[in-house]
Amino acid sequence: MAGYVLSRHEETTGLMRTIAIDLDDTLNNFEETLQTTTFQHDVTYGFSAQVFEEYLTRLRQGAAVNEDLLSTEYSFFKYQIHQQCYQRATARADGVEFIRRLKRDGWRIVICTYRDLRRAQDCTRKWLRDNGVPFDHLFMAWNKIVFCRVWGIEYLVDDDPFNIIQGEKHGVSVFYPALDRLKELQPNRARAFHSFSEILPWITG
Amino acid sequence: MDHRVGLLKEFYAGLPQDRVKLEIREHGFAFLEKLLSGGVTLDYGELTLTDLLHKYKLTNIPPYRMDELLEAHVAKRCNVCLYFEPTANSLFCFNLDNNHKTNNTVIIPEMDYAVKALRDLLCVLGCEPLILASGRGYHVWGRLERAVDNDRLYEFLSRAAVRILAQLHSSGFEHQKIKFNVYPDKRIRGVVSLRLFGSEHAKNKVFSKVCTPEGLLDEAASWAYFENYLASRTISLETFDAACVELGRSF
Repeated sequence: MAGYVLSRHEETTGLMRTIAIDLDDTLNNFEETLQTTTFQHDVTYGFSAQVFEEYLTRLRQGAAVNEDLLSTEYSFFKYQIHQQCYQRATARADGVEFIRRLKRDGWRIVICTYRDLRRAQDCTRKWLRDNGVPFDHLFMAWNKIVFCRVWGIEYLVDDDPFNIIQGEKHGVSVFYPALDRLKELQPNRARAFHSFSEILPWITG
Repeated sequence: MDHRVGLLKEFYAGLPQDRVKLEIREHGFAFLEKLLSGGVTLDYGELTLTDLLHKYKLTNIPPYRMDELLEAHVAKRCNVCLYFEPTANSLFCFNLDNNHKTNNTVIIPEMDYAVKALRDLLCVLGCEPLILASGRGYHVWGRLERAVDNDRLYEFLSRAAVRILAQLHSSGFEHQKIKFNVYPDKRIRGVVSLRLFGSEHAKNKVFSKVCTPEGLLDEAASWAYFENYLASRTISLETFDAACVELGRSF
């Protein structure tokens, strides 16, 4: 923190302003990558090309998995495909600029994801570095509203309907990308944005 | 220093001491700042689904901070988990987990069979293991007198695991009900850490009791067994070499 200049908010409250930001389908185009990438089957998957295609179709359709077991052939396949998507997904330029701007203004940036960072940490850090995304901490949280609540994080940028709906009830202001699949959400205090730049006045006003 | 910390340091001396996965309920930026003092860095954090249990992967831990963490571990204020060395290790571990999505802290018949069969196999090979209740199953540890190349360890571990899974299958059990991992796993580096002895499982608060052929020992007896194991059951390289040959012969 050497050389860090206190923001007006910090001067008045003694607290560093913090925002949590999701990665997949918020800061990148994960779903588009999953749907459009040509994934190659090879022997290391341990099953036939036909099974590979069946699994890929199932994954792309987002079909519910009715398996009793935690670790299966399909769960390992899903992990491998997702890893490729994490690496190939494209960053939203306006999102990167938004985070850089906040960082310059002294905000604490927490990248908050559902990714299994045990296995995805390296590729996630590389992707953030390659795309010039500054951040302070990397967290995985299965319930991001609880995470924000207990860590005292006021703002969350995320595309999950659960978080969009639940944020208001728990004092977390949620901003979400205006995606087609989120149009049907019941009105609530979470705000949809087309460009990340729209968020700035909402959090600095 | 707590005597138990000394035992842990000696038993796990072959694993990297500058990085841990810490399981603890404390959280918040003030806590994190304290945690990261002394040059410690946070690779990533995690809020789990178990109450407010958090996990922090920490690196660049200086020795005095590691001692503090181990003191906290034996006092049950947190759980310390260690990683394996990337190229060679003097410790190895079979990690047997209940693979069910729900109710997975129950010891199922498959698990009971597998851990007994694995103990028998390792004992026949002269590599008597230290078996610890892990919460979802067992950690079956072996301690070698010197570090062995990970490729060699992986081959040994894989052969033993395959033998046990085959026995499960031929005995009419569904081997998929057990998640059978072996460490060090040469395919992944720096990904998986294992909780040290002396911990409590985050979900069920069960102490990592030592499992003997007669059953689980209580906490005090487990520490005594651990100390005795450390003093007398380290596996010589000669024995390990012979065990590798024997396992190779059977396939």
